[in-house]
Amino acid sequence: MKLNSILLSCFLLGCAVLSAQPVKPGNVKFTQYDLSNGMHVILHEDHSTPIVAVTVLYHVGSKNEDPQRTGFAHFFEHLMFEGSDNIKRGEYMKLIQNAGGVMNANTSFDRTFYFEILPSNQLELGLWMEAERMLQLKVDSVGVETQRKVVKEELKQRNENTPYGSILNEAFGHAYTTHPYRWTPGGSPEYINQAALSEFIDFYKTFYVPNNATLSIAGDINIAQTKILIEKYYGSIPKGTKAIPRPTAVEPVKTAEVRDTVYDNIQLPAVVMGYHTPAQGTPDYYAMSMLATVLSQGKSSRMQKAIVDKQQKAVFAGAFPLPSEDPGLTLVFGVANMGVPPTDLEASMNAEFEKVKTELISEEEYQKLRNQTENDFVSGNLKMAGIAENLANYYVYYKDANLINTEINRYLKVTREDIQKAAQKYLNKENRVVLYYLPKQ
Amino acid sequence: MIKKIIFSIVTILVFNLSFAQKGDKKLDRSIRPVAAPAPGIKLGDIQSFELPNGLKVFVVENHKQATVAYSIALDFTSALENDAVGTADMTSELITSGTKNRTKDQLDSDIDFIGATLSANPKGLYAASLKKQQTKLLELMADVLLNPNFKQEELDKIKTQTLSGLAQGKDDPDAISSNVKAVLNYSAKHPYGELTTEESVSKITLEKCNAYYQTYFRPNVAYMAIVGDVTLAEIKPLIEKYFGAWQKADVPNANYEMPTAPAKTRVAVVNKAGAVQSVINVTYPVDLKLNSEDAIKAKVMNTILGAGFSSRLFVNLREKHGYTYGSYSSLNNDELVSEFNAYAKVRNAVTDSSVIEIMGELNRLRTEKVPQDELDGIKNYLTGNFAISLEDPAMIARFAINTQLYKLPKDYYTNYLKNLAAVTADDVYAMAQKYIRPENATILVVGDKEELSKKLAPFSATKNIEFYDIYGKPVAAEAKPIPAGVTAKIVVADYVKAVGGAKAIMKVKDVSTKMNTKFQGMDISITTSQKAPNKYAMAVKMGEMVIQKEAYDGKIGKQQSMQGKKDLSGESLDDIKAQAILNPEMNYEKLGYKLNLKGIEAVNGKDAYIMEVVSPKGKKSTEWYDVESKLKVRTSQTVTTEVGPIVNTTDIWEYKEVDGVKFPSVISISGAMSMKLTAESINVNKGVADSEFTIQ
Repeated sequence: MKLNSILLSCFLLGCAVLSAQPVKPGNVKFTQYDLSNGMHVILHEDHSTPIVAVTVLYHVGSKNEDPQRTGFAHFFEHLMFEGSDNIKRGEYMKLIQNAGGVMNANTSFDRTFYFEILPSNQLELGLWMEAERMLQLKVDSVGVETQRKVVKEELKQRNENTPYGSILNEAFGHAYTTHPYRWTPGGSPEYINQAALSEFIDFYKTFYVPNNATLSIAGDINIAQTKILIEKYYGSIPKGTKAIPRPTAVEPVKTAEVRDTVYDNIQLPAVVMGYHTPAQGTPDYYAMSMLATVLSQGKSSRMQKAIVDKQQKAVFAGAFPLPSEDPGLTLVFGVANMGVPPTDLEASMNAEFEKVKTELISEEEYQKLRNQTENDFVSGNLKMAGIAENLANYYVYYKDANLINTEINRYLKVTREDIQKAAQKYLNKENRVVLYYLPKQ
Repeated sequence: MIKKIIFSIVTILVFNLSFAQKGDKKLDRSIRPVAAPAPGIKLGDIQSFELPNGLKVFVVENHKQATVAYSIALDFTSALENDAVGTADMTSELITSGTKNRTKDQLDSDIDFIGATLSANPKGLYAASLKKQQTKLLELMADVLLNPNFKQEELDKIKTQTLSGLAQGKDDPDAISSNVKAVLNYSAKHPYGELTTEESVSKITLEKCNAYYQTYFRPNVAYMAIVGDVTLAEIKPLIEKYFGAWQKADVPNANYEMPTAPAKTRVAVVNKAGAVQSVINVTYPVDLKLNSEDAIKAKVMNTILGAGFSSRLFVNLREKHGYTYGSYSSLNNDELVSEFNAYAKVRNAVTDSSVIEIMGELNRLRTEKVPQDELDGIKNYLTGNFAISLEDPAMIARFAINTQLYKLPKDYYTNYLKNLAAVTADDVYAMAQKYIRPENATILVVGDKEELSKKLAPFSATKNIEFYDIYGKPVAAEAKPIPAGVTAKIVVADYVKAVGGAKAIMKVKDVSTKMNTKFQGMDISITTSQKAPNKYAMAVKMGEMVIQKEAYDGKIGKQQSMQGKKDLSGESLDDIKAQAILNPEMNYEKLGYKLNLKGIEAVNGKDAYIMEVVSPKGKKSTEWYDVESKLKVRTSQTVTTEVGPIVNTTDIWEYKEVDGVKFPSVISISGAMSMKLTAESINVNKGVADSEFTIQ
């Protein structure tokens, strides 16, 4: 229900996914299977705290939207709390809360994710409620009208009333001409206003079906009992009958730099760059991810040391690969220190990129990088909700939930030379968008 | 054709299959699951020891992951920072900016090399790493804590960053709200009401930072929590080794008077011109400590009102009315002084409606007893949340430290759920009487003043609105009455006399002014030229590059910017036409302008007449004329731009006389940013070429 600051969540996801060091596989054990209606189930048992995370990932994000109906996936995330045949309007959140639980949801380019964390004796309630909205969500005009207003306020709060709030919209909007990543999950409120009730119902029947869903549960559960409950509530939900549209558009290879200026309610100018980056899971993606760590993780990282600390050109500077199912962007941005023109800041950023392209990183820096990523990896799977989400993501994106334990090996394979090659291949002018954020007026 | 038939058979099959399945199971989905028996909630074990220097250490073993975290919390009440607010924050930055054994660069790379985190705050330190790196981490942590080496160059860097941060906060409505709320609730005589400003940053010195560190970073007021893959037996010798040498000393505690809530409801507004949302806070200070009998009951009461997605505020303002993305309330437990706050960010048009709903919910809590099922639901919610919070092993350590810091009964947390279960509807009612005080609240709104002022006045007990700047300083907004006999005509006539008189003014046939400023490190110049009767041009240059130009030759108006050239039309053309009239003040009446004298208010500390000027086309602008000097000191108008309407305000600080006529020589333009411009040259009757007034 909160479109988590997408930037942050992508960044967090990136962290959780990072890894390295002597192949010490993780120890997250899980069971998985498919129901006859195509829904995938993943279960992880852990009795250390008497709680359970019940999560459902629907493989639908903003990239599945009609260009004339952007914002639908996120709008649906709101509608999903409106009630069902057996849950009255306004009751959904109350039932979870009265059971002692917390819940939320978020939408990305690629998927929509719902979760409840409940005391473990309320597992069945969570299963029943997710099944209710998978089978028979109430999509009516009262709910649509209210959420239209709420979403408008959400977008204002995120994009307009927050300094630099439009960075993601602007970066992706300028970077893509063909692929649906050209709009972000927030979409355009006018499309939500224009859409008829029947369109929402159609969207629901297309994407919110068991064969497009992964139910991932982690916590204080008994696997055998949980399987029986899952069959009880989900076994009879019919498979979807509509074809699920998956975008096939391929963004053309870039041949020229894109440059623009964005005027925002800000005091400090910012330089925002988006470099086209391969899809998550590819060898080059891992190399780019390691490269971003070299550039910006920790106070001794290249950009922080040079640009923030030594040259004092920025209050903040960093690089973030945004993991995505189709080829995405590595976002690099710097917020200028007072009195520093953006041209100056950009020159410093470019200088750091030149350095990684021309000089191999040292053995010592390489070791630091591996230590940092190992630390991130080991610390990544502490909480039940995070484990459930990671398992679902790995299954949906790679059909391999066990990557929660082994993805570390993919990072390990990245060599110093791979990092340099990635820099040479991707950190190029023609492969990027550069936006100057300047104060309005 | 055949394919099509097969396809339809398959569809029918699938449909029947699922239908049959559904029928077979006969699951009645209207039956809601009943909760299984509640699981036992057990608090993890905690061990502790104390070093001879007074450092108290708590250890929570958790072997799920090979990581360990150390946190140090310092227990003291600091003195006011007075003119050097920000000293404590900067001290904590300096602590991690180099030691007697490591330069900042060495320290940074040593921390990163082991993949660790190490940070300081004004009242403590936090560090975490993989368990296998713990010895190195403890060495770094102790070095930072015991041997910091404060350097001027690092302080200077921190100051620059802080100033940039302050600039950034000026556009952030939440940052503004939080600043002004602190000042209004606590006042500047309380540490929670002190704000870091450009001025206070300039007063911070290395000596002050050193004094802060020397005074407060002492083991005898410190609690250390160790959480992770360790045992007491292995960690105790390491702590003794690394922190045994930390010297103890007497740490002074300051005392403060309890801040008081306003005697009557007041409305405070911070103007943020052009804001698309209003940030509402209904707030006041309260005295509510964690060890008070009331703490758990008051928490239940506040949760009903405004914590979580099924609280009254959220359901009312978001789910019922769609005013906001979220509305919440909070009531904290602080040793010095606590705060009640009800919050929402709403679209401008529903600001007053939202305040009505928030105040209505506060009153409902005070007048109606909470229904039992709602209370039970909330108690379940808090019980479940308590269980969920225990997932984080650091929570157990926090409980142990809280028990010490806030002088809680030893069994406070073990009895927490029992005490929570015992809260009744009568308790909640009593808590609402005591802690929900709409009649003593400050209704603070950050938003567009033009949209807000009139709508909000009715909520104030005095029916007046108090206006504040972004740092909580009062700004005058109510216009004073105009002295008898003074009219708009007189104010304009006085102005004409003050700048040199009609005769001298009439001699001006053309004037060209070049003004300079620096913005974001770049040299900017603005050249304005005018020629009688109605030619006008303005060019903005960054260095030698023209970034914007406007010209009107008496007939055609053109504009040139980075986006290209275009002819002006409609409202933009009217704007430039009006701009082009040389000395319009001389002929306001003849030109068909209407003048309305609105009152007197302070402009930059001096009283000025407010005059509304309405053009023949009905466009309004406002001008301010100094009561004493009679000179124009400010102009303001709304202009239409590509990004929507913007209010342009120009302050005139100084005039310079050329050929017997005074011209503005130092001005500032304000809006999202402010720029001060100084005239490099003012040329009068030097013959500006007609070609200046067109764009080729």
